[in-house]
Amino acid sequence: MTAKKRRSNGRRTREAYGFILPGVLYMLVVVGYPIVYNFILSFKDTSVRNLATGTSKFIGFQNYIELFHNPTFILVLKNTFVFTIGSLIFQFTIGYLLALFFYKKFTLSGPIRGLMLIPYMMPMAVTGLLGQNLFLNSGLINNLLSKVGIAGPAWLTSTSTAMIAVVIMNCWVGIPFNMLLLISGMSNISEDVYEASAIDGAGRMQQFWKITMPLMKDSILAVLMLGFIYTFRAFDLMFIMTAGGPLNSTDVLGTYSYMLSFTQYQFSKGSAVAIVLFLCLLLIGILYLLLLRKDDKEEEA
Amino acid sequence: MKKKAASVVLAGAMALSLAVGCTPVFAGETEAAATGGATLNPNTKNAEELTLWHYFDAAADAKAIIDFANEYNELQDKVYINPTYVARQELMNQYTIGAVSGELPDIGMVDSPDMESYISLGVFEDVTKQLGDWEDLDKFFPGPLSSCKDADGKIYGLPQNSNCLTLAANMDALKEAGIDKLPTSLDEFKEDVEKTTNSDKSQFGFAMCAISTEEGTFQLLPWIVATHDGTKTSLTNLTDEKAAIGLDVLGGFVKNGQMSPECVNWTQADAYNQFCAGKAAFAEIGTWHLASIDNDVNGAFEYQITTLPTGDEGTSSSTIGGENFGVCTGCKDVDEAVNFLKWFMSKDSEERWAVQSGKLATRSDAVPVYTYQEDNFKIFQKQMDTALARGPHDQWPTISEQIYTAAQKVFLNGDSAADALKAANDVIAPILESDPLPEQ
Repeated sequence: MTAKKRRSNGRRTREAYGFILPGVLYMLVVVGYPIVYNFILSFKDTSVRNLATGTSKFIGFQNYIELFHNPTFILVLKNTFVFTIGSLIFQFTIGYLLALFFYKKFTLSGPIRGLMLIPYMMPMAVTGLLGQNLFLNSGLINNLLSKVGIAGPAWLTSTSTAMIAVVIMNCWVGIPFNMLLLISGMSNISEDVYEASAIDGAGRMQQFWKITMPLMKDSILAVLMLGFIYTFRAFDLMFIMTAGGPLNSTDVLGTYSYMLSFTQYQFSKGSAVAIVLFLCLLLIGILYLLLLRKDDKEEEA
Repeated sequence: MKKKAASVVLAGAMALSLAVGCTPVFAGETEAAATGGATLNPNTKNAEELTLWHYFDAAADAKAIIDFANEYNELQDKVYINPTYVARQELMNQYTIGAVSGELPDIGMVDSPDMESYISLGVFEDVTKQLGDWEDLDKFFPGPLSSCKDADGKIYGLPQNSNCLTLAANMDALKEAGIDKLPTSLDEFKEDVEKTTNSDKSQFGFAMCAISTEEGTFQLLPWIVATHDGTKTSLTNLTDEKAAIGLDVLGGFVKNGQMSPECVNWTQADAYNQFCAGKAAFAEIGTWHLASIDNDVNGAFEYQITTLPTGDEGTSSSTIGGENFGVCTGCKDVDEAVNFLKWFMSKDSEERWAVQSGKLATRSDAVPVYTYQEDNFKIFQKQMDTALARGPHDQWPTISEQIYTAAQKVFLNGDSAADALKAANDVIAPILESDPLPEQ
């Protein structure tokens, strides 16, 4: 490379930095500052007593140590994973099957596909209220169950079934979302590939396992990753449907952090919970990037 | 191509998340559902505007606050009171955020047990200077007034309305079960609830609210802090075996199908609606329900109201509820805001407000002349004598959480009341040790 060329490259890099500057500034102020502030808050002892006076002290990892010794927090952490993984398994599997079905063009497949999106378009608050009523002891679900001779459980007033009800409501919302994203992934697979394989004598199942699945890998990874992130930071569904209850059985990190900060005014503890949530998601994000990079390398090889 | 597939998926997801992400959980500042046709007159005198945030959402209250603001704005020309409705939960969030950002109204309404926390958070202005030597101050009932003060006795606002809890009974259901008198002790009540439970008619004996919020604690406390065999329990002796008696009885109701376990998800309005719909023979109701109960029962059955049978014959306990108004930090004109409060909580205003919106007055010299339900208001006034204030304590939310959690453990997990209260006491005792509750 000649010296001149290198110089012009340098100038172009500088110009490029100029272009991203507004974006970086925006991120620093709107995203960076709250995260940093939250981090600092989680290492202090800020509560109702000293927020106004500003006399809170740094107490190191004390908040985190107390949290991990608190059985409620451990339950909340477990709930968050159960809720996320439970929701992901069902909404992905059912969403995938529906995607395969609706990908086929048949009469009314378009309108029905559109209608399927209604649960996803509804505000979560509405879904929560709906869930609350559906799962009443004498609500619609138990009414239908009794019609087929099953005595429905006390969904939202039992610590063992409340989570199931919340997962069902979340799947109701998540299935169309998964379906839509998977369909758009499928439509990126060229028809030619299927045609060519059919000529070579591949059956339906072979096509699914050898063509659809491998070519969909990136879409699937993206859907699962987004699904995980959306579900893990869930808040509104529980907040409206169960308020985290009964007895914290549907409390997740989001609702617990809110409760600590805004109901009990233990701001630093609430922040620490939010940081745990943040770290979990950061880990998942890094994992996603690593998987993508590994994929790229394989592709290059 | 793989990259392209992934980017299409991601772009789609982001677009969708934007669409959904914009939907707020709370409506924020919304107009009250119904103000009974009342509208705020414009600020024609060009007076300094003082904003007042409130969460009066019942039609009678929402109309009353506008009527009172109009009246005061007409009465003087220094300030213009501008009441704004903010949904209760949203209002509480705004106070907490405002404690840091400083964005607060000039005058704010607050649920009495929360006031102490907000005082600690710096939401309210110390108005001891303006109110300390007001000759009317000793006319206020001590319970409600104490909730406007901090631990050092400094005053931050005034109590505007009071309420408490009593027992409503469906007299038709009682008659059918062969009961001819209202229960006066916990033992009698226990028997009556058992007799009036009728699963054929899907009628429970009792309905109350045990939800995991302050509302749950409000309704549960009378059953925990009661008198048994002459011993009065309080939050400082929760491990006393007598303290468990009331909660044990309530737990028995749930266990025996005499009270719906759904009470753990019911707000006070839900429990009251169960009663009005004839699905519960007894219910714990609040003063504010008197304004609507005739309408809601709609002649379906006869009902009567009596003091809560929480303990020994002749004893009763209840909880004081109500709202305070405080002058917020950074108020444009503290002196004038206090002058408004003095007028708003004057003997005359208190009497009129109590009648108009179905509440109890916060002053002993105010004698509201109720135009409806006179006898039942008397029962509430009588119940007030034995009703306890919650706190004031700046860590009341943590104490409150322990109370409803203990009850839910008994109702849902079948824990013994003694064990549940012991667990609650493990958290409450250290808090009260370092900062005790005032005597009452």
